[in-house]
Amino acid sequence: MQRKENETPQGQAASVLVEFLEVAITAVVFLKGVYPSGFLLPSLDSPSSMPFLFFFFFFLLLLLLLLLLLLLLLLLFDVGKGAFERRRYMNVVVQRARHPQLRYYIHATVSGLLPFLQKGMVDRVAVVFFNTDNVPLEKFIFKLTVNQSYGSSVEGVDLQISLRSFLAKLSVSESLTKKLPPDCRWEITGNFQLLPETGTSKEANFWIPTDTKQWEQPLFITPIRSMSSDPLCLQFYIEHPSLSESSVL
Amino acid sequence: MDSRLSNSSSSTHHSNSKKRKKNATANNTNQKTLGVAWGSKSLSASSCSSRKSPFSDFSSYMAHKNCKLQNQFDSEASASAARKPIFSGVSIFVDGFTVPSSQELRGYMLKYDGRFENYFSRHCVTHIICSNLPDSKVKNIRAFSAGLPVVKPTWILDSIAANRLLSWVPYQLEQVASNQPKLSAFFTLKSSKMSEDTFTNALCQVEPDVQDSFPRVGQLKERHPSEVGEMVEVCRQISNESNDISSKKTDVFMMEEPIGERVICDEEKLAEANSSETNNERNTEGELDPTYQEPSTSFSIPCSDNQNVHQFPSSEATGSSKQCHSTLTDPNFVENYFKNSRLHFIGTWRQRYRKRFPTLSTGLNNGISNSNKSDIKSVILHVDMDCFFVSVVIRNKPALFDKPVAVCHSNNSKGTSEISSANYPARSYGIRAGMFVRDAKALCPHLVTFPYNFEAYEEVADQFYSILHRHCNKVQAVSCDEAFLDFTDAMVEDPELLASSIRKEIYETTRCTASAGIGGNMLMARIATRTAKPNGQCYITPERVDDHLNQLPVDALPGIGYVLQEKLKKQSVNTCGQLRMISKNSLQKEYGMKTGEMLWNYSRGIDYRSVGIIQECKSIGADVNWGVRFRDMKDCEHFLINLCKEVSLRLQCCGVQGRTFTLKIKKRRKDADEPAKFMGCGDCENLSHSVTIPLATENVEILQRIVKQLLGCFYIDVKEIRGIGLHVSRLENADTSKQEKYTLKSWLTSGSASVEKQKYHMGHNKHNSDCANCASSHGCIHSQGSSFQIDNKILNIHVSGDPISTPPPLCQLDVEVIRNLPSEVFSELNEIYGGKLIDFIAKGKGKCESSSSLGNSLEDDATCKEEDLPYSDPIPLNQIFSENKAMQHERVLGSGHGSCSQVTHNSNIERDDLLPSSLSQIDASVLQQIPEDLKAVILEHLPAHRAQDFCSTPAICPGRINQDSVGVDTSKNCPGTVNHALNDSLWAGNLPSWMDKFKDSSCLRKLGEIYHRSGFNSQLSSVLPQFLSEFHHLDLTQEIYDETVNIMCELLKQYVKVKIERDIEEIYICFRLLKRFAVKSQFFSRVYNDIFPFLQAAVDDNYGGSLFMP
Repeated sequence: MQRKENETPQGQAASVLVEFLEVAITAVVFLKGVYPSGFLLPSLDSPSSMPFLFFFFFFLLLLLLLLLLLLLLLLLFDVGKGAFERRRYMNVVVQRARHPQLRYYIHATVSGLLPFLQKGMVDRVAVVFFNTDNVPLEKFIFKLTVNQSYGSSVEGVDLQISLRSFLAKLSVSESLTKKLPPDCRWEITGNFQLLPETGTSKEANFWIPTDTKQWEQPLFITPIRSMSSDPLCLQFYIEHPSLSESSVL
Repeated sequence: MDSRLSNSSSSTHHSNSKKRKKNATANNTNQKTLGVAWGSKSLSASSCSSRKSPFSDFSSYMAHKNCKLQNQFDSEASASAARKPIFSGVSIFVDGFTVPSSQELRGYMLKYDGRFENYFSRHCVTHIICSNLPDSKVKNIRAFSAGLPVVKPTWILDSIAANRLLSWVPYQLEQVASNQPKLSAFFTLKSSKMSEDTFTNALCQVEPDVQDSFPRVGQLKERHPSEVGEMVEVCRQISNESNDISSKKTDVFMMEEPIGERVICDEEKLAEANSSETNNERNTEGELDPTYQEPSTSFSIPCSDNQNVHQFPSSEATGSSKQCHSTLTDPNFVENYFKNSRLHFIGTWRQRYRKRFPTLSTGLNNGISNSNKSDIKSVILHVDMDCFFVSVVIRNKPALFDKPVAVCHSNNSKGTSEISSANYPARSYGIRAGMFVRDAKALCPHLVTFPYNFEAYEEVADQFYSILHRHCNKVQAVSCDEAFLDFTDAMVEDPELLASSIRKEIYETTRCTASAGIGGNMLMARIATRTAKPNGQCYITPERVDDHLNQLPVDALPGIGYVLQEKLKKQSVNTCGQLRMISKNSLQKEYGMKTGEMLWNYSRGIDYRSVGIIQECKSIGADVNWGVRFRDMKDCEHFLINLCKEVSLRLQCCGVQGRTFTLKIKKRRKDADEPAKFMGCGDCENLSHSVTIPLATENVEILQRIVKQLLGCFYIDVKEIRGIGLHVSRLENADTSKQEKYTLKSWLTSGSASVEKQKYHMGHNKHNSDCANCASSHGCIHSQGSSFQIDNKILNIHVSGDPISTPPPLCQLDVEVIRNLPSEVFSELNEIYGGKLIDFIAKGKGKCESSSSLGNSLEDDATCKEEDLPYSDPIPLNQIFSENKAMQHERVLGSGHGSCSQVTHNSNIERDDLLPSSLSQIDASVLQQIPEDLKAVILEHLPAHRAQDFCSTPAICPGRINQDSVGVDTSKNCPGTVNHALNDSLWAGNLPSWMDKFKDSSCLRKLGEIYHRSGFNSQLSSVLPQFLSEFHHLDLTQEIYDETVNIMCELLKQYVKVKIERDIEEIYICFRLLKRFAVKSQFFSRVYNDIFPFLQAAVDDNYGGSLFMP
């Protein structure tokens, strides 16, 4: 009678974590600029105004006016043409993918991890960026530990505050990362601590053997953020291939 | 203009920076807003009309935007149906980050008729909501707020919870509060505030009265009824007063409306309360009686319990439950409905069962893990009473044993009542459960029908389960008459013998027969029972499983219902044997993953479930879809009120509170005729609406309000309603909040007594020990809570910051304190501890003597402080109290802490039986509230090696696990013996033991000191910069010894070890700092070079890469 909770603390933490991961992964993808992000930049850089150098001053004025209008549009109607739109999550501004397929991919991948997160089987979740030759250039890694023995209930607010700091840090950590070459590919992978039992029939089908060569290179790690707030311990860092490797590329 | 434009064009996507720049530009244009200029409303009014050149300059743009935002808000507000004008006239501006977020706050304002301003303006904003302010704004508060109140967001939440606009004064931001009216002025000021809030002078007079008498009402046990009482009382007054007031309406500005409405909506409650009072010979005419308005009489309402409120003295209600079968005629319909419902009985039975066998049902949860792995052949017994509902009724009528008997609601032979259960003789006539009585009578004219006898069912079910629990400690209750028993661990020789002995015992005790099935798992046991029935038993040994299943029709398997059976029939699968022919994959393809797997497993007698898994309930609710007919809205609302009561009672029963409320309505289909079943629901559409509120509740009143709102969402003709259900989900455990209420309540009710108790605790810190710590800080929290309570007057304030929700363990209590408590406090405490306190005292008499001798060596300082504590008489809980409140509060905390620290200093021996977690938790929270200077004093008085015990917050201490280890303790207590043999426990313990070691090496002592000074932060990265900068000049003067480098390296190494797994960021920061200083200082470059390979190895071990040091 004493313990009447709908979920175990691990379960609660896992569901918060899944939500967070979805947002964070979108933020990473946005940060790396794999998809066109803003609408102001492309429209500004468009060379169409260049031939009209003649009326330079006139156009400058017009352009400024146009800009102002666009800005207002953006402000008032949140109009934008990038792959992302601004949303609020945990009270911070985050990006959300506009394209339903992209959104679905992130959502489905992460929520597929939920049962494993609850059991504490997931070791890390990585967002990997490949170049055209399928060589991983950069991995954003969330290393997780869900304390299975934690008993008392989860303080949702505490967890939120900790997780929010990730998002805040992430949005300013662009300088830590390297610029990606064009035509990149990316994917989300989850690494497990051990292989799940093959007995549970349907889960076994989801398993895809990894390309082992991805993991052979020596790596450099740049930590971005760590938190440890029971029952969840989360570390977020970037893995790059070592410098020698990148010079070869 | 150019500069402005370039400004905005260069602004980034980030909204904040954009806004700020806007603001800056707005300043340039000399907008006439007071204080910091946000976009202003004053301008919007003027330039909304002159919109011909839309965005010619910035101010017109802002005006336009404001216009648009307002329109948007208005349209959204009008779109949100059923709004309660709590916040009418309130217009908030949210500044900065808040919890809940500004968007949520906006939602609340939308819903409750408030306004939400996106941009600050003196003219339309009435309240500024924020959680904290930057220093600059605090310093220049008038410029920032323009004299408007700066309030915390909880004000809004609490106002919603209370369903009225609370005074904002207690919710002022602390940072600002000093600049705002002082607390001492609060009580005089409040009356005017109150009138502003509620508008009737009468209310203002009554409220303090009520407040005063509140603590005196000794027997108040429940909070809710008393509040109901007050609300009723208050509303009554308002309704009286509102007649008078209506003449001078001009004075009453916008708040009038909500009150009017509240009076209306409370009128029914009022009526109810009144009618309950007629039981006590109090007339409804008393409503107009002026003496009646005295609070003392109003409290008689809460005293009458819930049942009383349910009873209506109206003529048709008395003894009419038999005749009145619809909501039309029976005002107690809901109650009677559930009283007579078999499903309700079964549904609520589990709850009762758990209460009756709490230890048993939780105890077996622990056993589950063991049971799965055993190779031993498991033995599961399934016991099921034979036609329970009938046999219980006729157990005392042996003459009927072999006659056909059925149980149903009515015995009218033409009735459309359904047979709920029939005994075996009756079944042989073809009578089945669910038949109408008239059909059954047609089949068997001499069928005897009985009504339900729920008391008997309860009694028999309890007997049944007590027998089962006696035989086995692993019992899973399926229903009131059916259970699984797991005998695997019991090593039963002959399960058949055991089963028959259990059955015999059941028969002898209850005079009802039971059947039993034994199998290797739950599935087989259940199937065995099926063959065993009636009144028999069957054992399916593992060898016989295949034979048995081969011929078994598929519908005998649990989980296969009518639909699935039909599907299988189409595949010409009738028996399990045929089912086994189909492969698992095709089954899964055909019927879905889960069902397919289930079919495959079950047809082979495989069942992985283990006995004893109890599912927690996810939602609680009540549905009524029989006999629901309404004439008009009033009927319907009355019905809903009763339904809410029922649901609220159920919530209270389960000890939970819910956040999401769903109202389900069965609406007659347009073309549906009157149903065949008398008063049945017939052919219906099912509609539902739900709402989620911020604070979980079980309160009837809130429930009623929500339900009324929800009903409004349906836009439905009440005559069409054939069924209503209310469900509550997102359940939260009510225990924690209850406990808070309880402590607050107990403090209030025993007003002076508990202050004595508190004083006592303070005094007794001198004499002893562990409990006093807890007790005194308990006391602090009590006082904090109570002052809150007073500030806010009556309504729901949950002191959310309260870190203690459970009483300290018994072993921490001090006997002497307990023994000297006033009797009523003692009895309350005793209740909390479930009566164990008395024994405890008897035991502890000897112990207390030894402990009191310990404390005599206290330093004078602490004693002084304690005596310095003139806790003013709290009974006039008014001005004096409030004036002193803040100051006292601090002092109480301070002295409480001062004494605690001394105590622990002197009683190291007793520390052994102390739970360290509770101590550190309490102290950390206490410490944090103490002002800086006081904190410093306390820390000074603490012996250095104890400091960390109090300071650490549990989350960030490294190696906290080791803190109990004796080794660390002893090494700390005798620092002289510590040599330089470095072991692995440098960072172990709450106070890292390296501090001691560094004492000896002169230059690193500095680090220890800084670390200590920084107090409560065990993150090295925050200490390091300070140390490094101080070390810089040490470095020049002092020679670097190898040993010092070694120690430093060792320290860092162990820090890495502690942190590497959980906090790589911290390591990264530390080492980047080190690297930076390695350039400047030779010492650090040596340290860095020494430690770096180790670091990289550690990172490689844990993360499979090396740390990237730019």
